[in-house]
Amino acid sequence: MDMSDNGRIEIEKVTKIFRREDEDIETLTALEDVSLNIRSGEFVSIVGASGCGKSTLLRIIAGLETPTIGEVRKDGETIKGTDEKRGLVFQDHSLYPWLSVWDNVTFGLKSLGRYKEKKEYAGQLLEMVGLSGFSKSYPSQLSGGMSQRIALIRALVTEPDVLLLDEPLGALDAFTRMNIQDVLIDLWKETKSTMLLITHDVDEAIYLSQRVVVMTPRPGRIVDEFDIEMSYPRERSHSQFVEYRNKILKKLNYAHEQSIGYYI
Amino acid sequence: MKDRSDHINLTTKELNELERADESFALRFKKRVIAALPIVAAVLHLLEYNYYPNYRLNTCTEVYNRFIGILLIAYAAAYILSFFSAKVYGYIYHKAAFYTVLMLLLTAYDFATLKTGKLALPYFPWVDSILNAMIDDREKLFDCVVHSLVLLFNGYFKGVVAGLICGIGAGWSRKISYWVYPVAKVLGAIPSTTYMPIVVMVAASLFQGAAFIIALGVWFPVTLTSMTGVQAVRKHYYEAAETLGTNKAGILFRVAIPAAMPNIFAGLTQGMSVACLTLVVAEMMGVESGLGWYVNWQKSWAAFAKMYGALIIICITFIITNGVLNIIKKRVLRWQKD
Repeated sequence: MDMSDNGRIEIEKVTKIFRREDEDIETLTALEDVSLNIRSGEFVSIVGASGCGKSTLLRIIAGLETPTIGEVRKDGETIKGTDEKRGLVFQDHSLYPWLSVWDNVTFGLKSLGRYKEKKEYAGQLLEMVGLSGFSKSYPSQLSGGMSQRIALIRALVTEPDVLLLDEPLGALDAFTRMNIQDVLIDLWKETKSTMLLITHDVDEAIYLSQRVVVMTPRPGRIVDEFDIEMSYPRERSHSQFVEYRNKILKKLNYAHEQSIGYYI
Repeated sequence: MKDRSDHINLTTKELNELERADESFALRFKKRVIAALPIVAAVLHLLEYNYYPNYRLNTCTEVYNRFIGILLIAYAAAYILSFFSAKVYGYIYHKAAFYTVLMLLLTAYDFATLKTGKLALPYFPWVDSILNAMIDDREKLFDCVVHSLVLLFNGYFKGVVAGLICGIGAGWSRKISYWVYPVAKVLGAIPSTTYMPIVVMVAASLFQGAAFIIALGVWFPVTLTSMTGVQAVRKHYYEAAETLGTNKAGILFRVAIPAAMPNIFAGLTQGMSVACLTLVVAEMMGVESGLGWYVNWQKSWAAFAKMYGALIIICITFIITNGVLNIIKKRVLRWQKD
């Protein structure tokens, strides 16, 4: 089986409708008719204001939610439930506080009974993010940035075809964030996994990804896509970078105005 | 202070010295004297005990001298050690006032009972006679401690096991909580000792009956805390485990239960105090052995020295039991921030 071919995601006309707890009759449409194809090994970011359904979309791909209408396929197969081949990283790192760093990182390997076979790889990943000296520490002893790096490799150690990133850097300060963005690019190049990043930081999306997808809220829809044709590592002050930023922000602002107009 | 590099680099000891540099000699001397006060108080107490004449026919023995002597030697050793260890010094300086007052209270009690008879027999025996009563009856007391502990742990473990199964089950599955929760709520509202009269009549043996009542009293807090513990586990912990390829059993045993451990230990501690309480009540009400029974039995003979001796033993036993539980808890929850 050729590894490089795995990690293709096809989202086909997905609509997700939630029940509302405060409302008997009306429902909430989180996603409306969303279609998107992601190539194997591609790095895609989805940007949009909060409430645009981008996290819901990610949770559907992870298998934690099911679409009301439409379907999502990975490598041609309809997604049903969770799978270690679709890794997920949360904004709050969600490391297990009762386990040491090493036991957190190898949690998935133990679940799959592959600890012996892959523990060296776990060690390599830990080294890559510069935290091999901390394997015996507990999460409460780590900073936010360190915790998030551990959360990234915990999700990567089972060698997922797709890594789903739900605003993983959203809670970090600016310097830590830039630092981990570079770590993320290194990990992507090393593992060749497909990366799907949810973020509300346009700069982060342009800095990291090959393609930026813009979503708008109420109901969540994809309004535009931008291929970022710049080589890595990218320069945040480069004129091309700034141009992309302006285009995307304009799209977001425009969409924002329109949705307000729609509601007024 | 030696210069190790371009940076200022101090050991903890050097930092302590630096910060205390402006402490005057008088202040340091005063602190030393305060730390020595328990020794003074203990010596005074020994003088009072040995040289002040006893009231009328009151008698006393060497046992109390040895008891106070051991405490005195232990403290004096710590005091000597404190010249070499800042940690020991910090500890004894902190505790000095408490130990001094303790010695003064012992002196006052001894004076009021043995020396002047202001607090009269048989209700107020002096400490020496309590110690002697404990030594004289040591075999019986030891037997009672063993009986009490066997009954305590018999009931406690049954209650803990049942409580963990019910509580973790109810926290984990709605179907289980549908049945368990109302039962726990109703039974938990009644103190388990209330059932004592019925159990005394119905149970095949009083030991089994008492164990059942202890177990019932433990079962309730353990069920409730482990249930809330499992229910309060953050959803992301489960979702992370799921996306890492963990099956249901793995999520239960490797995520839900460890995450609920702080709550579970709160229940285990609560359960232990319920168990101790229930144990003593059960022993006083029917079971014909153990420390609770001993207290009641000696009271009926008006042997108050023996009764107080048993109370002291009960106190020590429960302190040790809870101490052991605390050590286990600290070990299991060592990942928690202080």
